[in-house]
Amino acid sequence: MTEEAHVPHPERHRLTRRRFIQTTGAAGVGAAASGVVRPGAAAAETASYPIKPIVALDELAAGATVPFTYPDDRSPALLLRMDEGVPRGVGPDSSVVAYSTLCTHKGCPVSYKPEHHLLICPCHWSTFDPAREGGLVIGQASQSLARIELRIESGMAVAVGVDGLIYGRHTNLV
Amino acid sequence: MTRVPVPPADAERHNTVCQFCIVGCGYRVFKWPEGREGGLAPRENALGLDLREPLPPNSDWIAPSMHRVVTERDGRRFHVAIVPDGKCSVNEGLASVRGAGLAQTLYAPDQDTKARLHVPMLLGPQGHERVSWEEAVDLGARIVKAVIDRWGPDAVGMKFFDHGGGGGGFENNWAVGRLFFSGIGTRAASIHNRPAYNSEVHAAGDAGLAPLTNAYLDARLADTIVIAGANPYETQTNYFLGHMTPNLQGATLAGKRAAFGVEPVERGRMIVIDPRRTMTVATAEAAGGADRVMHLDIEPGTDIALLNAIARVILDQRWHDVDFLRRHCEWQTFESWQRSTLQVDRPAAEFVAGAARTCGIAPERIHEAARWIAAPKPGGYRRRTLLHYEKGLIWGLKNYENIAAIVGLGLLGGNVGKPGTGISRLGGHQEAYVRPPYPGGRPALNVDESVRRGESKVFWVGGCNPVLTTLRAEAMERALEQRGGLVTEALLRTRDASIGERVTAVVEAMKHGGMFILAQDIYLTATARHAHLVLPAAQWGEMNLTSINGERRLRLYERFMDPPGEAIPDWAIAAKFAKRLRRLYLNDRNPLMANRFLDFDWRSDEDVFIHARYQFDGSDRDPMEGYAGITYELLRRLGNEGIQTPVRLVNRTPSGTVRLHEDGRFFTPSGKARFIPAPLPWPGYGAAFESQRRRYRFWVNNGRTNHIWQTLYHHRHVPFYRDRVPLPYIEIHPDDARSLGVEPGDLVELSNDVGTVRATAYPTTAVKRGHTFMVFGQPRGAAGDLVSDHVDPATTIPYYKGVWADIRRIGVQPDARNVSFRPQNVAI
Repeated sequence: MTEEAHVPHPERHRLTRRRFIQTTGAAGVGAAASGVVRPGAAAAETASYPIKPIVALDELAAGATVPFTYPDDRSPALLLRMDEGVPRGVGPDSSVVAYSTLCTHKGCPVSYKPEHHLLICPCHWSTFDPAREGGLVIGQASQSLARIELRIESGMAVAVGVDGLIYGRHTNLV
Repeated sequence: MTRVPVPPADAERHNTVCQFCIVGCGYRVFKWPEGREGGLAPRENALGLDLREPLPPNSDWIAPSMHRVVTERDGRRFHVAIVPDGKCSVNEGLASVRGAGLAQTLYAPDQDTKARLHVPMLLGPQGHERVSWEEAVDLGARIVKAVIDRWGPDAVGMKFFDHGGGGGGFENNWAVGRLFFSGIGTRAASIHNRPAYNSEVHAAGDAGLAPLTNAYLDARLADTIVIAGANPYETQTNYFLGHMTPNLQGATLAGKRAAFGVEPVERGRMIVIDPRRTMTVATAEAAGGADRVMHLDIEPGTDIALLNAIARVILDQRWHDVDFLRRHCEWQTFESWQRSTLQVDRPAAEFVAGAARTCGIAPERIHEAARWIAAPKPGGYRRRTLLHYEKGLIWGLKNYENIAAIVGLGLLGGNVGKPGTGISRLGGHQEAYVRPPYPGGRPALNVDESVRRGESKVFWVGGCNPVLTTLRAEAMERALEQRGGLVTEALLRTRDASIGERVTAVVEAMKHGGMFILAQDIYLTATARHAHLVLPAAQWGEMNLTSINGERRLRLYERFMDPPGEAIPDWAIAAKFAKRLRRLYLNDRNPLMANRFLDFDWRSDEDVFIHARYQFDGSDRDPMEGYAGITYELLRRLGNEGIQTPVRLVNRTPSGTVRLHEDGRFFTPSGKARFIPAPLPWPGYGAAFESQRRRYRFWVNNGRTNHIWQTLYHHRHVPFYRDRVPLPYIEIHPDDARSLGVEPGDLVELSNDVGTVRATAYPTTAVKRGHTFMVFGQPRGAAGDLVSDHVDPATTIPYYKGVWADIRRIGVQPDARNVSFRPQNVAI
């Protein structure tokens, strides 16, 4: 299934801060792709994140991973269902999380190593813990992986925002 | 944070170098007024990048950690972005986890770094109280003078930085040296991390080697890199990632071919001598494959035995460089070394088997290591081996013999002064040593003992924190509390009295064991809390400073912001005291002493730099740090490439030195290198350590770690770093943890006959059963509390790594709940 197939409602939230997901009643309206605001540097804080369904929970076994892109198709991300509940997790036992897979050190793609439950960058070996909000276990990145904010809607894990700056961007919505 | 501001095209620009580790990565600083921002098109921003699209990997991306808003003394606010310099050959755009957070260490009144010291303070009834610089210097100088006059200069004890980078630099080192050595004349001096004033590598010096012989380029050219007692992925990061791992991966083969012509070349190999399977081992294997990396996981304190056994195999196989030994080494020392250290009268197999039993490495692996280091390449070409060492040897069983062993191994193969070779420490801090001669002898006086025993009447601490880092750290703190307390009482009692009466009262307290404590620092550290006088210093970025890195690259670290409040550079603090002492001695009609404090009239950072420069004449007699002929103007032009010291003057033109000893000359009277024989191939633990070893279950290795710099003096004020290591952690084998009922993140207590300390358990197979590794110098638990006061009698360097202790579980540690205890050394 394509990611686009899971965009039934192309509505967007108006977002101002990283805790935007707690903001209510500020939904904007626009077309799924054509309506995306391309903010300049100063406008970025008030732009809106897309709402993007990622996967149906009943298709998501413990230990499963689902690659997707968010908030645009130049930003690879990974949804993971961990074996147990984790901080900031959603869904069954709060076990579902998602992260940008661009290493926050130099932008190489991190990959998930299920045997260690770690996201590891092959370039300089920055190592992140998806069960601890994408925090750095060891390595040279100077921030956690950008975390894709999720919520559950109609049995779907839906991406609704990003916590932290994605590598290579001055603002997440470029 | 979801965005970082874009620096406008006309942003103010500065070059600087990271303030932290020895590697000294180049950085670019952009500064522009708050409220302004650059555009997204390349010509609209200072980075010259098209920010309308996401940047590709390895770009000059400004991570959130690289930005901060600062406030100058006049109240104006500026954005500052500090970005790794892609054009600097040291790091080529790479940032370590520490360097990427340089901006977070800047003083900002609305961030945690507001904890910086702003004003001079004197201990009063309500704690430290603000005083003027004039009052602080007058009281301090009068007390120092009274102590010199009554007890002599050695009663003025000091413990100060002697390094480069943050808190140091040639400027500050020169001023400190002039105050204490030319001026006060004390022998009771000690260097930031140890109890005496001594080289950490006396044996290398005695052998005629500079501590830092090679260029970073040599790590790209070497056939084999030996890393002994060091963990460069974590503590010399971008030397490792930018120069060593590319060699292991084969990415430097073209450079090797260009440098060596017909000589056969291949991907590099690495030997890591370390009891732990560190990130260095794991990432080297990931880079080069397990077949190119040899991890020799020795038993604690047995480096000497292993290194000498490898040397014996090389000698036995006749892989040594006879031509180099004949032409460039004192042959008699080579003969003594063979007979005494390598025991050539005994059969080699017996010698190697004995070493194998001692260090826990099988004889076959010792032979294999010798092959990697010295077996000739096809065509009979000599193997190029680069030998590096750091605190595992320096703070190991016997400092002098450890260093002598690796130097001997290096010289045996002729591995110095040629491309792809070197015998160098990896380094901790950057370097910038320039001082008048230390008045004491060798071995140097143990200042920690002087402080504890009462001989030091003044203890002046600058840019270091012995309460967290020295041996028997608890005893040091107790001395500061008890002896300092007597002086505190005198000061409080005479609060409204004249300055003369106050000084008299302090001297009386000293007669009864009191000690006056001065702390010169950027934060109120655990040591500074005990100080009577607290003197606020400027930090990196708040003054111009110069330093050299691990390949002796000298650069100007430009000033780009004001220090907070009334803080001033360390050199300026030293000058204030020197001038006041001169005036006091003139008033005493004592011109002899007054004249010792002449020539402190510097007006700028560069004045001090140029004053110190006259230690060097640009000849080949200049030491490693020599910078004859260099000015700030020249360094500005050279930018983050700088120039490699020692700088020789050729036709009066400064000329850098890529690698030392390339001319085959060494720093000995004969110009030849020396081997340093030891009476035995391995000295043994000695009675005190043998007893501790038998009595306690766990060896407590200790040292630095990736995320945090030294005592966290900056990083405890930056959440990203502080939250990763809220308490010191102790790595312990999972089987040992299980046997103690310890879960990841539990609080445990370590105790031995020296003291106790608490830490968070981090079960990992990185350490062997019975071994542990504890982060040193953490503000909430200092490994130094367990370290005995034994020092190598040859050098007065402690055996900081020589700690054995028992461990027990205390309970769950709430502060560790959000800390990940996943394995660190996976590196796939």
